Amino acid sequence: MPLHDAHYQHWDGLHTSIWGRRRVIAQNGISACLRAKLLRYVVLLSWAGGLVMAAFLFFLGQVLVPDSLLVRWVTQISPDMRVFVRMFTSWLVDHPEVSVGTTQNVLFYYYGVYSMPVCIVALGMALPALITRDLASNAIVIYSSKAVTRGDYLLGKFCTAFGVITLTWLGPVCGAWFIGNLLAPNWSFFWHSRIALLHLLMFGLGSAAVLSALALGVSAVSSREKSTPALWFIWWVLGFAIQPIAVHTLPWLRHVSFGYDLRQSALAVFHLGRELQTAEDSIPIFGQMLSHVSQQTRDALNHPTLGGSVLGLALMLLAAGLIIRKRVVPE
Amino acid sequence: MSSEPVIETLGLSKFFGRQRALDDVSLKVFPGSIGLLGPNGAGKSTLMKCLLQLQPITSGSAKLLGREVGREGREIRKRVGYAPEQNCHIPGMAGCEYVTYCAQLSGLPFQAARQRAHEMLDFVGMSQERYRKVDSYSTGMKQRLKLAQAIVHDPEIVFLDEPTNGLDPKGQAQILELVEGLWRIHGITVILSSHLLHDVERVCQQIIIIARGKVLVHDTLENLKARRRGAAEVVLARGHSELQAACRGRNWLCDLLPNGHLRIEHQSDTLNPLLTLLHELRLPPLEVIPSPNALEETFVQALEISHAAA
Repeated sequence: MPLHDAHYQHWDGLHTSIWGRRRVIAQNGISACLRAKLLRYVVLLSWAGGLVMAAFLFFLGQVLVPDSLLVRWVTQISPDMRVFVRMFTSWLVDHPEVSVGTTQNVLFYYYGVYSMPVCIVALGMALPALITRDLASNAIVIYSSKAVTRGDYLLGKFCTAFGVITLTWLGPVCGAWFIGNLLAPNWSFFWHSRIALLHLLMFGLGSAAVLSALALGVSAVSSREKSTPALWFIWWVLGFAIQPIAVHTLPWLRHVSFGYDLRQSALAVFHLGRELQTAEDSIPIFGQMLSHVSQQTRDALNHPTLGGSVLGLALMLLAAGLIIRKRVVPE
Repeated sequence: MSSEPVIETLGLSKFFGRQRALDDVSLKVFPGSIGLLGPNGAGKSTLMKCLLQLQPITSGSAKLLGREVGREGREIRKRVGYAPEQNCHIPGMAGCEYVTYCAQLSGLPFQAARQRAHEMLDFVGMSQERYRKVDSYSTGMKQRLKLAQAIVHDPEIVFLDEPTNGLDPKGQAQILELVEGLWRIHGITVILSSHLLHDVERVCQQIIIIARGKVLVHDTLENLKARRRGAAEVVLARGHSELQAACRGRNWLCDLLPNGHLRIEHQSDTLNPLLTLLHELRLPPLEVIPSPNALEETFVQALEISHAAA
């Protein structure tokens, strides 16, 4: 088109705040991550898992309350079930904190720990969109020439990684807590599960922050799109594989695995050993169910290696910080 | 000229290890269109990057738009545009998305950013290709895109690093036309870094010649031309040999150039003696170009002095 026809007009509007610009970086990063079809499937899978969890909590709620729909239906079908159901409903009356709080606490622990691999896989897929591609295309120069600093850029990218974790891990489990308790027969479930939610948020937010920072570090290692996810997955799998060997030879070596360190942190945050003990003491059927748990397992649950895990994670974060400091510079 | 300098440096130095990229650069640059000239590796890009805080300054101080570089980075860069020499797009984005995103990074709200992005893409002459992924753009399109992202937030000063690299002559002319208009029509100060003298001569009023990290010359193009007076190029429709003979009679050097122009060294501060001669010979000139290679000669001379000093 003829260049003279196009008019240049000055702009004199109000600028957005720095937090607005950081949000734009994060938002753009998440959009870039979600352009990968596979990652979209992983997000769907995670939310499907969350829905299953919500359904389970709904079922649990129905079992625990005497006049719930499920209980009424079951007792109508078979009057013999009434005794069995009454046993469950008496738990809620006698030990509401255990029957709701402890149960959800244990559920969230297992869901949190065992669905973490999904989130790690999702992060692996998102790695190129964090820093790797920007290094490859020199986009760092463009960011640095705009009204954002390197810190703003990194914060935006951190929020991108955090967003991916929220979509695949924190979001579904928090959603499950909310929907499960919303559909519970009475509102007291929200209250009784508050500690479980607190544990979940403490562990979830802490782990998400650590994983996001580690993912940024790995993403900055190379400018090749295939190298950084490969490195991430190798680190994760190697850490997982090394544990059975290291436990009998060099126990400290287990802390090389961020997955192991986060699991140990989860044990400490959710107080799993203490919670199970409370359940055993309060509700006899739990005592019978847990009687076969070995002393070694109980010790492991009661005494997680929190110090080593925190140190291990701190060293990994330090390494990630050094990599970012060295690599994320214009040219 | 405004009384406030847009760029002010004092003893600015930059080292890469032991290598000195900028050596005690002290400058006061006023608004206008400024050409930053120098051979490859002279320190032009480093100077730009130091001013934009893309590179930390080793010693000295610098002010951009009256603000201290290094202290008010975000505020400065809100008012500054930069089109780097190398390609630096964000992969996976369409051209209009990319420019919108750049505007948002400079602090424009989304609606305004999107509107400005389309206006700037119109301005640089990009039509439907703006909806294509940047990764698939030709060199020319990438250069236009770089210019669009540099001015999308309406900066007061824009740094353009070799903006015509890799462009065909038509593309070069179009980009230079746009760049020229930025200061002349829209009042945006332009710092154009190039090793192409013709580009700088066409667009810029002020010239900074830099070599080996030192500023060798900083003056207006007019003054530089005045320093090299005494030569002119004459375009004639006829009578070339007649004029050559007349020049020889006056001991003026006169060469016929491959393009048919006559280059005459008339050894005078003004064109009057040459015009008088043309009048006497009844040879109406089609064009008289005073000091045609002034910038080139100044540039070469400055480099020679720099080499000799080194």
